[in-house]
Amino acid sequence: MRGWEKMGKIQFDHIQKSFGSNEVLKDIDVEIEDGSFTILLGPSGCGKSTLLRILAGLEEETSGRIFINERDITENEPKDRNIAMVFQNYALYPHMTVYKNVEYGLRIKKVPKNEREKLISDVLEMVELTEHAHKRPSQLSGGQRQRVALARAIVKRPQVFLMDEPLSNLDAKLRNHMRQELIELHQKLKTTFLYVTHDQVEAMSMGSYIIIMNKGKIIQKGTPKEIYTNPANLFVAEFIGSPPVNIMKFENMYIGIRPEKIRVTGKDIQKDNLNIAGTVITTEQLGGETIYRVHTEFGKLNVKTTSRWEEIDSNVNLEFAFEDLLLFDKHGERMEKTIQMVNEIKTLLNQKVLEMI
Amino acid sequence: MIIKRESIAVSFKQLKLTTILQHVLLILMGVIAIFPLYWMIISSFKNEAEIFTASFFPKDPTFTNYIYAFSEIPIAKMMLNSFIVAILLTVFQLGTSILSAYALVRWKFKGSFFIYSIISLSWLIPIQVIMIPNYVLINQMGLNEKLLGIIIPLSVSTFAILALYQGFKAFPTALIEAAILEGESDFGLLTKIILPNLRSTIASLGVLLFISGWNEYLWPMLITTNMENAPIQIGLRSFVNSDTNLWGSLMAATTISSLPILIIYFILRRHIIDSFVKFGMK
Repeated sequence: MRGWEKMGKIQFDHIQKSFGSNEVLKDIDVEIEDGSFTILLGPSGCGKSTLLRILAGLEEETSGRIFINERDITENEPKDRNIAMVFQNYALYPHMTVYKNVEYGLRIKKVPKNEREKLISDVLEMVELTEHAHKRPSQLSGGQRQRVALARAIVKRPQVFLMDEPLSNLDAKLRNHMRQELIELHQKLKTTFLYVTHDQVEAMSMGSYIIIMNKGKIIQKGTPKEIYTNPANLFVAEFIGSPPVNIMKFENMYIGIRPEKIRVTGKDIQKDNLNIAGTVITTEQLGGETIYRVHTEFGKLNVKTTSRWEEIDSNVNLEFAFEDLLLFDKHGERMEKTIQMVNEIKTLLNQKVLEMI
Repeated sequence: MIIKRESIAVSFKQLKLTTILQHVLLILMGVIAIFPLYWMIISSFKNEAEIFTASFFPKDPTFTNYIYAFSEIPIAKMMLNSFIVAILLTVFQLGTSILSAYALVRWKFKGSFFIYSIISLSWLIPIQVIMIPNYVLINQMGLNEKLLGIIIPLSVSTFAILALYQGFKAFPTALIEAAILEGESDFGLLTKIILPNLRSTIASLGVLLFISGWNEYLWPMLITTNMENAPIQIGLRSFVNSDTNLWGSLMAATTISSLPILIIYFILRRHIIDSFVKFGMK
């Protein structure tokens, strides 16, 4: 068997896809860095799975081309694309043992038996399933099944790993654990991972890059930090972050502020900062942090803070800095802030004409 | 708490009443189903004088009916014919239905829906309509009086195709796609992924096809005139004609002909019930 060629830069070159008259992908033109852990993030039906399936060769694009390392693979059969895919429901063959499941693809490729055995025992050891090799998938726990699915992908030594919501079937605790394992796996293998999810927490915690999609289009690509602090539009701002960003609507603009950028203060407001008074409606203790829902003249705001533990119904003063505000125009597109806006926004807040959405 | 106990007592009473009703109904249906079978078996041991009486057990059990039945028609040969026909029909019908269901479910080709519709509609055509043209064709091929003549026109079963079409359609696509990514061929997909996971469906269908093959009557009757070449169901007819009705011997021969099905039934009881439920028959 050939060595493991790990370079896996993916280029989607103006990919378009329609099912009948329904256009699910509109001119997808994006590059996925070699060796990155890139997340395709978006609400269900945004086309992210379709894009992944097109890359795998399970779906045919209507137009456009796909390159892996400058090699045009648009016309290649799925097996000739040098990719491996992990499915949402694992897609393990129920009638085969763990060993046979992992071996299946190698057999089709006609890898000699002794080489097969070596590869499989290595990969089973890597995912810690050696002692389960002769069990059927039905005899395994959810996390173990997930690891079999990973082993089956790893043993192919692909240039690119594709993962279609692989953790969505696991319970919350196991999901956290597997998230960590996937990050470690990626660090060990240093191969390109392209990972589809609708879960922004997964995306933020695992990805080296996040590509946000909505309605068949790519909205923004960036590192988790860029996406979070510098969202391209209202959709991205609202999609990322938990609790969600606070959005205040004004007649020609939207003002957003992240819950953790709001400080609960007393009377001592810092110079140049903005402040609003409010009443605590609910509190959510998370141990280290507390999430308050605060009723203000501008609507109900989420506040996430470590500083003070306020009681329900207590009056609080909310303070935030101008530079932490996210401004969007009336179409929801991001606006650049200028220093002249400070006074304008101060006036808005004083005039109390904002309303929450 | 007291109220609760009372209400439990009431619901227990109701439960009992419905259970009794259900059981009475089931017993009634069981009798309706089993009684003819019982009547067939005891009648086969009754002598000619007793056969028209309503006795529930032969007073003077006799084997004459069996002896006569064996001398009248070549029962062993005809049973063998029945076996060959039923087994080959099962094999052919399974083979054709597996291949066509796979093609219809997996392949996207022009006119696939049209073909599926035609197949579905052909289920509605009774055998009597196509009997004569088929007979002419088989005759021209020189296959009358041959088991192959019985088998060939029946070797594709619409019922089997539609049953498997549903089974294949419900098969998880992710498994198939995972295998496609590995580079599996169509034949490999069918034999290594789909069929091993649908073993019980195929087995249930096989049992049903075997039973219906065993019970085939009209078409074999048309193809064969010589008893030596005919399956057992045709032989039964020879005990009843316009001149005499040899009920005793008929019952003896019928008992023998149902034995294989009864034996299969006792061995595969579970499976057969499953298959009736699965394919929604009877």
